[in-house]
Amino acid sequence: MTNREEGESLYLTAEVLEKLLVAVATRQDRDAFGSLFGHFGPRIKTFFRRGGMSPEMAEELVQETMLRVWRKASHYDPGRAAVSTWIFTIARNLRIDFNRRQRDPSLLPSDPVDVPPSIEDELLAAERDENVRLALAKLSPEQQAIIRLSYYIEKSQTEIASELGIPLGTVKSRIRLAMNRLRAVLDEDQ
Amino acid sequence: MTITHHPTDETLMRYAAGTIGAGPAIVVGAHVSACPHCAEAVRTFEALGGAILEQTEPTALSADALAKTLARIDAEGKREASGDNHSQPIVIDGVRLPDTLKGCEIRRWRWIGPGIHMSRVGVPHDPEANLILLKVGPGRALPDHGHVGTELTYIVSGSYTDALGQFTPGDIADVDEHVEHQPIVDRDGECICLAAVEGKMRFNSLIGRMLQPIFGI
Ligand SMILES: [Zn+2]
Repeated sequence: MTNREEGESLYLTAEVLEKLLVAVATRQDRDAFGSLFGHFGPRIKTFFRRGGMSPEMAEELVQETMLRVWRKASHYDPGRAAVSTWIFTIARNLRIDFNRRQRDPSLLPSDPVDVPPSIEDELLAAERDENVRLALAKLSPEQQAIIRLSYYIEKSQTEIASELGIPLGTVKSRIRLAMNRLRAVLDEDQ
Repeated sequence: MTITHHPTDETLMRYAAGTIGAGPAIVVGAHVSACPHCAEAVRTFEALGGAILEQTEPTALSADALAKTLARIDAEGKREASGDNHSQPIVIDGVRLPDTLKGCEIRRWRWIGPGIHMSRVGVPHDPEANLILLKVGPGRALPDHGHVGTELTYIVSGSYTDALGQFTPGDIADVDEHVEHQPIVDRDGECICLAAVEGKMRFNSLIGRMLQPIFGI
């Protein structure tokens, strides 16, 4: 057993994460859930904080995300998506729901709408995962930063430009270059 | 449905990231439901989101975060999330609208010019969303929506043609403000499309801009 500093999160491989989630799904394994919580909870918190959420709200939504992980674990299909991808979509949907309630406080929390069901899988999840990791790693640090920002915050290119203190044209060309490189790497690995 | 026009990768990425805004998400979702190619791209961008989450550096949670979550699990027992919300398809003028409009308020057509009707869609969780349905007669030009940001137009029925080619049901036009285009509805029938304009532009000014070329005001 490793000795962890307090607050430091576990790093676990994709295979281990999958086993943990399957254990939660098949036998409501609380230790497995605790490990998933230790791995993802602190990362989801950063994910929400980057989008401008308060620490209290981020903490609250981390709990909500992990509660849904527990509830929906039996719906997880390892052939379709990696655990990190599946949990990302749960956190993303909760953030969309949260942002809507910010704009319209009369709205009650709902089960967020999922992205429409896919028609058929062309790639195996593992293959797709490997591809995106390779693609991301091949981007320059600046391109990576702008892609990450697109996942963290709902902002227009103009707003991103003023946030980063760089001209709009630079933001546009950085995004375009990053997308072209991503697309090139993804296509070549298929 | 033969689809030839797709959203840009950037639009699909922001849709998968959940950072695109409510109106555009409804328009892009309509296309993604109909287009296997873009559905696969969305899965890829979701996987990218997973990879980004995985690489995001951790922020310490409060010491009792796990205990609190487990207590909530105990409190609610084995309740399953009810995921089903099957409801009737939405139909306007005998034309089935995309399912991504479920939950939205579809209002009556309003005449805004010769051969042109518009209905502003009520997006319940986003009163500022600029989402409209347009019905334009054969041979008519689509009104200028007054681009300020990216404009997304999904073809529900009929077809139109502009400098980018012909747009038929399932196609999406994803154009930023620099693209000069003047879509003209094809002569064989009217065209219904769903359009979203990104940004916080107020609707009043949107109407104004739409009426401008029609009435010359
Ligand atoms: Zn497509």
